[in-house]
Amino acid sequence: MWENLSLTEVTELAKDPYPSIRKWKKETGKTIVGSTIADVPEEVIYAFGFLPVALLGTNKPLKKAPSLLPDNACSLARSNLELALSYEGDLFDGFVLPQVCDTTQHLSDIWRINFPNTYVESFLAPRQVDRESARYWVKEETERLIASLSARFNKKITDEDLKRSIVLHNENKALIKEIYEVKRKYPVSITNKEFFSLIKLSMQVDKAEFNQTLKKIRDSLEKKEGEGYTEIILTGITCDPPEIFDLFDEIKLNVVADALVTGSRYLQGVVPEGNPLDALAERHFKRGFYSPIHDNVYKGFKELKALFDQYKPKAIVYIHIEFCESEEYDMPDLKSMIKKEGIPMHILSTEFQTLSLSHVRTRLQAFFESLKGGTL
Amino acid sequence: MSEKPSSKALSKKITEEYMDEAFRAHELGKLVGYTTAISPVELFVAHDIVPIYPENHAVANLTAKKGAEICSITENLGYSSHLCAYARTDLGYRESGKTITKGIPEPDIFLACNAQCFTLTKWFQVLARRGDLPVFVFDTPEHVMNAAARKEIVKYCVLQLKELIAWLEGITKKKFNYDRLQEVMMYSAQSSILYKKFLDMAQYKPSPISIFDALIGMAIAVYRRGTPECVEYYQTLCDEIDEKVQKGIGVVQDEKYRLYWENLPVWFKFSDHAKLLASYGAVILTSLYVHAWSLDFDLNKDPLETLAENYVNRFSNSTIEDRADMAVDLFKRYDMNGMIMFMNRSCKAVSFAVPTLKDILTKRTGIPALVFESDMGDQRFYSETQIRTRIEAYFETLDSLQRSKSA
Ligand code: SF4
Ligand code: SF4
Repeated sequence: MWENLSLTEVTELAKDPYPSIRKWKKETGKTIVGSTIADVPEEVIYAFGFLPVALLGTNKPLKKAPSLLPDNACSLARSNLELALSYEGDLFDGFVLPQVCDTTQHLSDIWRINFPNTYVESFLAPRQVDRESARYWVKEETERLIASLSARFNKKITDEDLKRSIVLHNENKALIKEIYEVKRKYPVSITNKEFFSLIKLSMQVDKAEFNQTLKKIRDSLEKKEGEGYTEIILTGITCDPPEIFDLFDEIKLNVVADALVTGSRYLQGVVPEGNPLDALAERHFKRGFYSPIHDNVYKGFKELKALFDQYKPKAIVYIHIEFCESEEYDMPDLKSMIKKEGIPMHILSTEFQTLSLSHVRTRLQAFFESLKGGTL
Repeated sequence: MSEKPSSKALSKKITEEYMDEAFRAHELGKLVGYTTAISPVELFVAHDIVPIYPENHAVANLTAKKGAEICSITENLGYSSHLCAYARTDLGYRESGKTITKGIPEPDIFLACNAQCFTLTKWFQVLARRGDLPVFVFDTPEHVMNAAARKEIVKYCVLQLKELIAWLEGITKKKFNYDRLQEVMMYSAQSSILYKKFLDMAQYKPSPISIFDALIGMAIAVYRRGTPECVEYYQTLCDEIDEKVQKGIGVVQDEKYRLYWENLPVWFKFSDHAKLLASYGAVILTSLYVHAWSLDFDLNKDPLETLAENYVNRFSNSTIEDRADMAVDLFKRYDMNGMIMFMNRSCKAVSFAVPTLKDILTKRTGIPALVFESDMGDQRFYSETQIRTRIEAYFETLDSLQRSKSA
């Protein structure tokens, strides 16, 4: 179903992948497991023969979530809860929910209580990453996840199953990276929206199929130089709604590098060779940190500075999810560190349900106009 | 023979000596360690690190109604008004020096324990960046409802406590003394038992204490755990309240409503709320929050293990189902017939559980709940009339419920 998609189809599906996942489930009879984003090892779920689906919120109206999570909860958490409660919950045979912050800790409790008959497991990722104990813990949690899935779905997996799954997932990331290389140089070949849709959809559909699509897209990219593009770096957790990418495309911004969780941080998650469990643990520490959770602003700053030095873009655009507390504690210092380097940065606050795109457009335009005019 | 000092006098003396030591820490060859109110501070005490709780300092300012003023200084620095009012008060104090106390000594090191909230980790990181100071994050995964997982969580936490000890040894260049830890743990265990006994006095009818007494009485447990004076304080406090019990003295003599409170208090409305409720014959007896320091150490176990077990299973790190069990236990033991569920904008870590918790509690106890949204310290989110009307309406409901029950 997902092996021969055009870029247009990919973009459409990325906007709302659920009808096609439903259809796929019906055709294949496979088990579907949803996770909010943050470090659940999807390779493990896939190794069971299940489809791991990253939940990336919804822009449909909030109905049930507000009475369970107040309006000062981050909009990603609220909209994911709504997605499950009102719209797509019945599609899933289970959920594995990572806990990274206070909000996600409660979110998994609320979720479990509201889905009493569905499998809901927490994945307790460590919130410190510099000490040996964190490594121990990631491995422990991965093993617990395997045991929990085994017990619930009465199925066992072997190291070989895991290895096969890892190879497939690694291949997916390698393919997207190749496309990223082309996009950087030839922004005409693929728009920002199309490119980030490839990543999003990769997090949601069957890789065995989708990798075929990626190969075809990679081979068909037209390497044409573009004119009048402004290169930027994107950072944050996710960039939603996807119409924001339309705005980028409209004013000819070219994202040449990013530190998004639904971007390069995902691509960095290639699992090294060796014993699969050790390798999965190792991967946790190899990729960039989950924006505001692991360690502090220094790491985020260093990562952005390195990207800036490498790709020499014109500015950084920070996508802030309202009301992500962790981001809000980091932001003032991050801002001043970046400013000190003389790097222009634009902060874009987003919310799933209520974002006004025209407002974003005006602000983005103003920022890039003054950037061009040299008044920044 | 001089008379035994009162608990109030003792509390004052302990606090003064503590702050005096903290301000002179460097002179005394000690370091100042900032830590979270819920954290294995016994390791600090055993290693001669003076623990400082910036939350307490913030509470003093919030109680004195300084919240809005100091918080807005922080907001002008670019911080969101949606952050915890403790953090905003603290950052504002650092920027402006504004405080109603003598302030608190500057930190040398930080210990952030996630069992309380993740906010503190982020807040401490902000402070640490100001001086490039070391932060230790004691990461406590949620105390999920699975026995095997709990064992593993404790193991992970014990590993981290060992790392914490090595970290302290590295910074202070001093070997950690496990015998001293045993001693500190003994004091902590004793004072915790007495502290819980103090809170549990609210079981008596009429109750000799209200939650407001508990909130005042908890201070020493928060910042002086692990010392002999902490034990002495709670012994004295228990004796005093015992006397009240013997004499049948209650906070409200004709108790009509014995209430549960969810969340932290609205610090700047603290005494007003007590008076208002008393006028309805109501007294708030307890909350899970004040019970957060009713620790239950097992001194026969490896000290690191019992420390890990205790800090991991605090209410704030428990699942909502477990929180409900803990609260229901209090409802039964204290024979409560009403509940005020406070949605505190500041504290996401406690409040995001409240709507679900409220549903479970009303279902399990059959008692209606009063829910209100405000902020524990920032007056800008507080509406007096709204709350008064709500309280009035709530007692009307309870009254009519009682009438229909007796009919
Ligand atoms: S966006 Fe921020 S607050 Fe929301 S779940 Fe992610 S880390 Fe937590
Ligand atoms: S009030 Fe809540 S968010 Fe603030 S420090 Fe305390 S536990 Fe953390």
